[in-house]
Amino acid sequence: MTLLAILARRLLHIAATVVLVALLIFALMHFLPGDPVLMLLGERATDASIAQMRHAMGFDRTVLEQFWEFLLHMTTLQFGDSITMRVPVVSLIRDRLPVTLMLTGMAMMLALLIAVPLAFVAALRQGGIADAVIRVISQVSLSMPVFYIGLILLITLAAGLRWFPVGGIGNGFLEDIYYLFLPALTLALSLSAILLRNLRESLIEVLHAEYVSFATAKGLMRRTVLGRHVLRNAWISTITLLGLHIGSLVGGAVITETVFAVPGVGRLMIDSIFSRDYAVVQGLTMVLAVMVSVVFLAVDALQAMLDPRVGA
Amino acid sequence: MKRLAAGLLSAILAFALTGPAPAANRGGTLVFARAIDSQFLDPVHTAQNADIWISLNLYDTLLLASADGKSTEPGLAAAFKVSEDGKTLTFTMRPGLKFADGSPLLVSDVKWSLDRARSKEEGGEFAFLLASIASIDTEGSDTVVLHMKHPDPTILQALATFNAGIMSEKLLTAAPGATLQEKSKAFAEHPIGSGPFVLTSWQRNAEMVMSRNPYYWKPAADGKPLPYLDTVKFVIIPDDATRILKLKAGEIDVAEFVPYSRVTELKGDPKLNMVLFPAAQVNYFALNTRPTLKDGTKNPLNDVRVRQALNYATDKDALIQVVSYGTGTPQQSFMPMSTPLSYGEGPLYPYDIAKAKKLLADAGLAGGFEVTCMALAGSADDTAKLSAMQQMWAQIGVKLKIEQLEAATRLARYNATDFQMRTSLWTNDINDPNEITSILAYYPTRQSARTGWQDKRVDELFDMSQEELDPAKRATQYKEIQQLYAAGAPIIFSMEVPYPVAMLKKVKDFVQIPLGNNIFIDTYIDK
Repeated sequence: MTLLAILARRLLHIAATVVLVALLIFALMHFLPGDPVLMLLGERATDASIAQMRHAMGFDRTVLEQFWEFLLHMTTLQFGDSITMRVPVVSLIRDRLPVTLMLTGMAMMLALLIAVPLAFVAALRQGGIADAVIRVISQVSLSMPVFYIGLILLITLAAGLRWFPVGGIGNGFLEDIYYLFLPALTLALSLSAILLRNLRESLIEVLHAEYVSFATAKGLMRRTVLGRHVLRNAWISTITLLGLHIGSLVGGAVITETVFAVPGVGRLMIDSIFSRDYAVVQGLTMVLAVMVSVVFLAVDALQAMLDPRVGA
Repeated sequence: MKRLAAGLLSAILAFALTGPAPAANRGGTLVFARAIDSQFLDPVHTAQNADIWISLNLYDTLLLASADGKSTEPGLAAAFKVSEDGKTLTFTMRPGLKFADGSPLLVSDVKWSLDRARSKEEGGEFAFLLASIASIDTEGSDTVVLHMKHPDPTILQALATFNAGIMSEKLLTAAPGATLQEKSKAFAEHPIGSGPFVLTSWQRNAEMVMSRNPYYWKPAADGKPLPYLDTVKFVIIPDDATRILKLKAGEIDVAEFVPYSRVTELKGDPKLNMVLFPAAQVNYFALNTRPTLKDGTKNPLNDVRVRQALNYATDKDALIQVVSYGTGTPQQSFMPMSTPLSYGEGPLYPYDIAKAKKLLADAGLAGGFEVTCMALAGSADDTAKLSAMQQMWAQIGVKLKIEQLEAATRLARYNATDFQMRTSLWTNDINDPNEITSILAYYPTRQSARTGWQDKRVDELFDMSQEELDPAKRATQYKEIQQLYAAGAPIIFSMEVPYPVAMLKKVKDFVQIPLGNNIFIDTYIDK
């Protein structure tokens, strides 16, 4: 198959996924108990005002009619207005998405920066003290809940040592990096543990492969052997793993954004689910579904570049 | 004359003893951490506390509630007159009033704002507070006349309530949109009002900045204009622990909604001022009093003796310790004691297991039964109080089951009366007993807060009190309503709790009034 055909097939997959997600999220939100009108009007609402508001918002129409409107909105990328905040959903997402992208991006980079060197150390000294220590630490950070790690970092590094601000967001790109460092580190820790374990295993496997012994026997420098042969081959499954964890990174962002008071889409999503803000949940889910699909596509492409066996 | 002289003398003495009040520092930014952001800043179209509680900073009202909440003071109106029959109210506006953009605040704006706020179609959730107004006239450039359908004892407090905020007809109707509702949406993004502050920037769920309104009418004691602060910056920090950490690090000046469990610790912090503002707020448990539950099973809570028994079996002092760490006080009425015309003779249903057992036996339920209570999932408070009550009620053979539900599901079930018992919280929005009574005790509005409890005499007394201008008679009516409600016990009476707010010591004169409104007009930052 040509590259173009592969790409076309993958894009079709993405389109199908997005349509399925759209159906699912509409169904989920509408079959979930709870009513946005009640949440908006609160505990004091009378039956008359509830009926009036329901009519004004179009919730007294049939589910089919509402679904039709939802489809129309989706095809024109118009997600309508937020029910609670009464502003266009698009503008809400536009304001928040960069923050979450930056947060998850930084988290990925930090996870790699932590995982790759440690995996090498552990793999090269397999069974040694360093290996044992690294494995214990990764096990601990893997089993600690994200909000707990976040609070510990906040109390020690921010409130205690004052190295970092206690949550919030900065003013401008550089300050944002400073503010987002701790939340990104929080997200990165558990991810790096997963990557570390996987990369360590693959490294050990590759280190014992015959072509590595051959390369060493050929008299290649150790650095060249490790970089060109060992890492390149050990990478492949780690990259796939990283791609697969993009979703959980976005999920973790929901919690970190709450603990660190970061105004990103994670918090927007949680708030909107709790207040049954259908419009925001649906719009945001669609945007995230497309983004995660695109990342999966990118990971596949990267994998194909690293490993000629893939995609043939 | 003698009395005047004596008064003057004591005033001079007091002044000499305490010296002049230290001059308030002008300028600066106050950073205030909120747990949740506002949603919509048109005072007529919101029912959310996060909107209501800052509304008076942005939109001024004709009258202002006095500090104790029991009376009103002049606001945008410098003076007012009520006719003998209570059916005509004449307001004289202050000269030279302006909105925050410098445009004049006209009597036509007052008429337009109040007409909109009281309208059935455009008036929103709180229109009922102004429902007794028949029509509004203006005379000349400074007089507004309210013609009433009937005398209304609450109208003055209603005019000091957020939804009666005066808005600019010109600015709101100039906003884009085909209908008034659409215009309101656009306007509320960048609202310009008549209050001491004006919104200058808003990033949803992140931060909101209010700057001082240079055209605000009210002068400070030194004759210079209020407010003192240049800006109030609200930052949204949903996590309780983070809010407190940020305050301790000095990155913010004020943190609201401090968990009660941390009040003692923060009181001991020398850098902080931990304040418990008295609140018109009650914590209680609503009971479904219908003979059968939604699923068709028989409901023992239909029997008033059973409801009274459960009330006696609840140790309120223990609950106050568990939930509010001793900061709360037991309920003496269904309404908070700071509500005007509240009536209480002491804590209702003092803890008495023997009495509870006897009442249950009289009701033929000596063998006990099971009650299911809806709790808010993830709420530490709900879990704490309900597990304490499980043990208390076990002593009279009642098995309390806890059903954890998230807010939207719980509200939907409650509204459909598909519940047996639930945890409830009420905060007054107006300095008058009529709002809480209309919702909790008066059946026609929503079956007495969905409990299904009805006392015809209570409904009758409430209808009468709505037109009763004689404060003494009205107080008698309300006393009877509260006694009947206490005896009928459609709720488990629990506690009143304060608003816990922590702030740096340098923050002076910030107030959260019992209704919850955050008032920054006199706030300043000490040098």
